[in-house]
Amino acid sequence: MGTLIIDGHLDMGFNALYNRRDLTETIQSLREREDSLKNLLGPYETDPGTVTVSLPELRRGHIGIMLATIMCRVQVPWPGKPNCHNAVRTQATAYARGQSHLAYYQALEREGEVAWIKTLEDLESSVAAWENPTPETPVGLILSMESADPILGPDQVAQWWEDGLRAVGITHFGANSYGHGTGAPGGLYPTAYPLLDAFADTNMIIDLTHAADTAFWQILDYWEGPVHASHCNCRALVPGQRHLSDEMIKALCERGGVMGMVFVESMLSPQWVWDDPRTHCPNATRAMKAVVEHVDHVCQLTGNTDHVAIGTDLDGGFGRELAPTDMDTVNDLQKFLNILRERGYSEEDVAKIAHGNLLRLFRNAWSK
Amino acid sequence: MLIVDSHLDLAFNAIQINRDITQPAAIVRTHDHQSSLYRWGSATVTFPELRKGRVGIVFGTVMSRIDHTDRFGRTGMYSQAQCYGVGHGHYSFYKAMEREGVLKFIHNAEDLDAMVAAWQNPSADTPFGLVLAMESADPILDPDHVSEWYDRGLRIVSISHYGNNTYAQGTDTEGGLLPRGKPLLDALKASGIIVDLTHTTDQGFWEILDYYDGPVAASHHNCRALVPGQRQLTDEMIKAIVERNGVIGAAFDVWMLDPDWKRGVLGCDQTTKATLETVVDHIDHIVQLVGSANHCGIGTDLDGGYGQEQSPRDLNTIADLQKLPSLFKKRGYKDEDISKILSNNWINFLKKTWSR
Repeated sequence: MGTLIIDGHLDMGFNALYNRRDLTETIQSLREREDSLKNLLGPYETDPGTVTVSLPELRRGHIGIMLATIMCRVQVPWPGKPNCHNAVRTQATAYARGQSHLAYYQALEREGEVAWIKTLEDLESSVAAWENPTPETPVGLILSMESADPILGPDQVAQWWEDGLRAVGITHFGANSYGHGTGAPGGLYPTAYPLLDAFADTNMIIDLTHAADTAFWQILDYWEGPVHASHCNCRALVPGQRHLSDEMIKALCERGGVMGMVFVESMLSPQWVWDDPRTHCPNATRAMKAVVEHVDHVCQLTGNTDHVAIGTDLDGGFGRELAPTDMDTVNDLQKFLNILRERGYSEEDVAKIAHGNLLRLFRNAWSK
Repeated sequence: MLIVDSHLDLAFNAIQINRDITQPAAIVRTHDHQSSLYRWGSATVTFPELRKGRVGIVFGTVMSRIDHTDRFGRTGMYSQAQCYGVGHGHYSFYKAMEREGVLKFIHNAEDLDAMVAAWQNPSADTPFGLVLAMESADPILDPDHVSEWYDRGLRIVSISHYGNNTYAQGTDTEGGLLPRGKPLLDALKASGIIVDLTHTTDQGFWEILDYYDGPVAASHHNCRALVPGQRQLTDEMIKAIVERNGVIGAAFDVWMLDPDWKRGVLGCDQTTKATLETVVDHIDHIVQLVGSANHCGIGTDLDGGYGQEQSPRDLNTIADLQKLPSLFKKRGYKDEDISKILSNNWINFLKKTWSR
């Protein structure tokens, strides 16, 4: 029996609706289908990569709870990839695509595939269900949002909260409606502050992942509520704005935040430079032990194991090809826990990293 | 003259093709990437073009279905949960447009009257009236889900679209209603939702007409007597719809107007002979067949997965629908009949349906 794992970042809705994956199917059946379609890719089609995440696979890997995203942002289309990765032209469209992700999750809930976690009670009952799971135990779903564009204004925050939204990243790639994200140079736009004020009326957690450097500090400065970084690695090991500097990690952890480790080559290889496509290799070179280096770094920096979590981002615009070389599907996260154990992490530490730290984050945020 | 268009995939264009349809078509054409332009054609429908064409009331679709073959449109899916996601996204786009004041949902006869009145003397920012339509019923997860969709504003539903859908077989397949179809029709009847017969198979057409005794129409459909193929209505079908007091919207996709159009070849790679006159031919065929102009409407389906290249060749954008009145006049149509075809037949049909 595996250890309960919480994955802090999975773009399930995006994969279901943009990549047309029926996530209730097994990995095997999804792969067979997509292999047969690969040779039909047009010149401007983005290959989503080999699928690694589906609901049966999450259950098999004992990943009993996930933060599943609403993911759509306003951004100028990427050159050569006009339809890539849910970048859209208007906030109205971002809202619509965001709502489509929400509706997909609601349909999964109706089918009993997922159990929606909106309250402390829901959380504890999902944790309890995963003490003795059956093959049908629903995966606990906490709704998060990557880029706040689907929230059309502060007046919509209450509705999104009611619909289950519990964690929000203000920005994603580039400059969106609320400020600068990864790859952009600046900070928050004035529109972001009333939005943060509206979040303050709820128990929303702000996700600092994908904030541009200036935006990161502006958010920490203005926002007094709970924070985390759902999927971020360490800039000390891999250069680039996408990762957190030591100062950022310290500031995040001082605020009780948790940092989810990301399982993708672009976040694990120092050779990968975001802004230079020539450095982007098609296949991964790093194994899961590269993730452990980031775990070690955060633990050494903070002097404890209270702030590290898992936020794989698997299938978040890439597939098995760019996941760690010893990872075939999300199910292999249990192997990752074994690597931690081999590295000398105690069972207590492993449990914290696998689920305990994220559980603490939500228990604290929701018991107010 | 006010025009009602009974079939536009506006949300599909905004969400799946990623067009900002609040901009003029000329701007959208500069936005579209070459690959998009080639696959979907040049944009013809945006809100400024609708305004120029005085197309004040539109049926805007929610469009998703079980269809494994739709790799580029990304509305054909593998499970109904996915269809519901896509469909709810389309609905949400219209709600976002309503929030911006671009359009207003039409839920009932009162809303419709107000909208018709507003478009008698429209100002530069008169909102468009939107009747929420659904093309293929797959986003309705079950019969007990119908009332939720009704409350959102859904007023007309086609049971199928292309391929092997959930409740019925669609265009390009054989067969008819599937086992879950009849309970769905019962629920649609209970809500008073119009069943749109467009995109049924021949067998499905007659099975639905036979089983469903609520209001029926054909939102975007031409005549098989002029263009062969399952996608068009036979004369018997037209008569049957008319007997049930339905309205038939004329479609502007030249695949449905030009018998020589090669299906499967993209619009950019061929040239059609069809013009707006050809559309008038189809409408005139129905008028002659049934002996009145009381059952014809306009349901262009412009930008419904194709663009200007696959539209009547004298149409640049949907604003050119205003060329239609003079074409009808030339054929001897009275003003009253012209306004029936362009708007009043749909308006009266909806009012009658909603006052029951």
